[in-house]
Amino acid sequence: MTSIAMAIEASAAVRELLEWLLSNGRADAVLTPRRSAETGSCDLALITSARDLTDAEPFQPVMTANAGQPLSAASMSGKRLAAVLKPCELRAFTERVKREQGSFDRVLTVSTVCDGVFPLERVAAGELDRLLPGCHESASGGETASGVRETCAACEGFVPMNADISVSRTEGGCLLHLHSARALERLEGFGGDRIEAEPDREVLARMLETRSAAKAELFRSIGGSGGLDGLVDLFGRCVGCHGCSRVCPICYCLACDFESAGLESDLPHFQAILAERGGLRLPPDTILFHLGRLTHMSFSCVGCGMCSDVCPAGIRVAAVFRRTGEGTAALFGYVPGRDVSEPIPVTVFKEEELGDIG
Amino acid sequence: MSAEVRAGRTSAMLPAAGGMDPAITGLLKTALEKGVVDAVLLPMEVPSGDSFAWILMKDPALAGDARAMAPVMPVQGALALRSLTRKGEGSLRVLALMRPCEVRAARELSKLGQVKTGNLLLATWDCPGAIPMKDYIADPAAAQERFAGMLAAGEPLAGGVKPSCMSCIDFSMTDADLHFCTFGGTGGSVPVLAGSPEGQRFLDSLGLEAGADLVAWEERISEKRDARLAARQTAFRETGGKVAGFQGMLSVFADCIGCRNCRAACPICYCRLCYFDSETAKPDPDAFLDAAAIRGGVSLPANRLLFHIGRMTHMSLSCVSCGQCSDACPVDIPVADVFSFVGHRTREAFEYAAGRNDGLPLPLRTFEKTEPAGIMEQVRDAEPGGHSHD
Repeated sequence: MTSIAMAIEASAAVRELLEWLLSNGRADAVLTPRRSAETGSCDLALITSARDLTDAEPFQPVMTANAGQPLSAASMSGKRLAAVLKPCELRAFTERVKREQGSFDRVLTVSTVCDGVFPLERVAAGELDRLLPGCHESASGGETASGVRETCAACEGFVPMNADISVSRTEGGCLLHLHSARALERLEGFGGDRIEAEPDREVLARMLETRSAAKAELFRSIGGSGGLDGLVDLFGRCVGCHGCSRVCPICYCLACDFESAGLESDLPHFQAILAERGGLRLPPDTILFHLGRLTHMSFSCVGCGMCSDVCPAGIRVAAVFRRTGEGTAALFGYVPGRDVSEPIPVTVFKEEELGDIG
Repeated sequence: MSAEVRAGRTSAMLPAAGGMDPAITGLLKTALEKGVVDAVLLPMEVPSGDSFAWILMKDPALAGDARAMAPVMPVQGALALRSLTRKGEGSLRVLALMRPCEVRAARELSKLGQVKTGNLLLATWDCPGAIPMKDYIADPAAAQERFAGMLAAGEPLAGGVKPSCMSCIDFSMTDADLHFCTFGGTGGSVPVLAGSPEGQRFLDSLGLEAGADLVAWEERISEKRDARLAARQTAFRETGGKVAGFQGMLSVFADCIGCRNCRAACPICYCRLCYFDSETAKPDPDAFLDAAAIRGGVSLPANRLLFHIGRMTHMSLSCVSCGQCSDACPVDIPVADVFSFVGHRTREAFEYAAGRNDGLPLPLRTFEKTEPAGIMEQVRDAEPGGHSHD
């Protein structure tokens, strides 16, 4: 495919691209991870002027928020955007667009093969500078960078599926692969040699092998005893803060049922449970919340790991959801985030479906 | 305070030869068996053995398996009481045994109509602090041992408890319906204080031996309180320096990712729908881009510092310094330090204490002509070098 060869490192090349897009009126704003040179704090920013891109770190292995979430609202403006997204952020955004919570119409997406991201706790503890060196090298060698989120180490979706532009690293530089008409059009006039090139599939195959093995191990490790007891084992520590649902880029309800007045119970309800069982947990519905969330969003779970990262009780939410999601999505031969034209299974009705379940 | 305790409250002795915790749960078990209360709310270890959950129990056998004093506070007890009584108190007589800060939070929520205390018997104990959740999950056995040591010493262990516990001066709160003097539990018994006629009736109906020698306990509490007060003054000074001005606040909350765990863990945050989750607060994408042009970029999710300031405006007067917000923060922002400090200053301005059994209304729900003057003095005092932080 048409590609642009650049003789600079991938992050620098994308920064240059973003600058060019803003300076040449090809984008009104860009969405990119940043790291403050002054404080070292990482965030995600929407930037409108090329001169404000100095702190941009397009491919920083940190995820303060799954960018698919804030991109939703930003993409609904009339402005033209360019967004640097990790593959799971792009998949999350794709799922949101399917639910009409975002639009690809004016968004140019830029992505790259993902090495994984470091847990926020470690980033906040100031460990990033220690973790960064060699992180990309080990990933491209087929190994997993040490210290990344456990769902990243086990992620098989590390190659961007439907980006307008994907970036692959080469010896001494990188290639910008232009996958779409929008990419060709918006980058018209952007410097660098236009060549025909493909990403190195061999490296990707090696990476996939490592990650698939890690995934199998991850899923085994949260196998548990199954059934209600298994769920109690997995989620017994839950404090009911619902942080997992707030940072989830998929959780799509505008008002969560579990925060509605309808699910609050009056005393006679509790008294009836007390009479029947002798005791009950307060606040109630701890497991029900996770089951409800699984029912709603597991088909679309992109395995980004935000939920585990914010859990104050250290529950491996992402591993459980990813595992369940893979199972539910597989029932429908569905891959979340693969293609925006593929409908989410639970949003379509087929008369003949799931015969083997019922 | 000795005189106050002796004047207003009566005491009893709870035999505790087998340890304080089993003695207390045993007493509550008996209370259930004898029908003195209909149900008891106590912490119970979760099946995986690495945390505790609030269990409302009617079956006396369950009380035998419960813990009177859990080393951790996974869910602030006031939130458990809110889920139980929010829609009305009904006829169920419940005794809830909690840390003092949990009872204080429950009282603040009761002023807001979100906890109904009419049929509740609130019981507390002398609290040496709670172990941070992360520490507890990492090694429950070690954490339990540390907690037992703290309970015996009657004080928190630096670096081993939630930071807000280090500087808590309300760790022994004798104005609850019942208070177990766990820092005075020597000689195989625990003194129990009744802080209300209901508490007294509870003690009477269980036939505990009346009268306890409280002198040693009172002295110990007063000594421990002095130490924590000193720690608190130091903490306030440090926090006051960090959060001064807009830049200070920005830098303390720089790593915030906008997950709102602090709000969810907070026993006070009382809004049904948080303004920051409302449609009104949803950023208009175009306004957003305009702001980006002015500020050199908009950090997403938007309004993260504004969220903390908004939350502070709403709830800091009622902040009980339980530290749950800090404990729930995935990026280790010292939220509780800031909120405790600010809450302390705002409460000073209104001469209000959060969670006392004093019948005082919430300051923001009352109007007094002279109030703003006092606040302006506070603001002037807060100018650099203008005051000491206590």
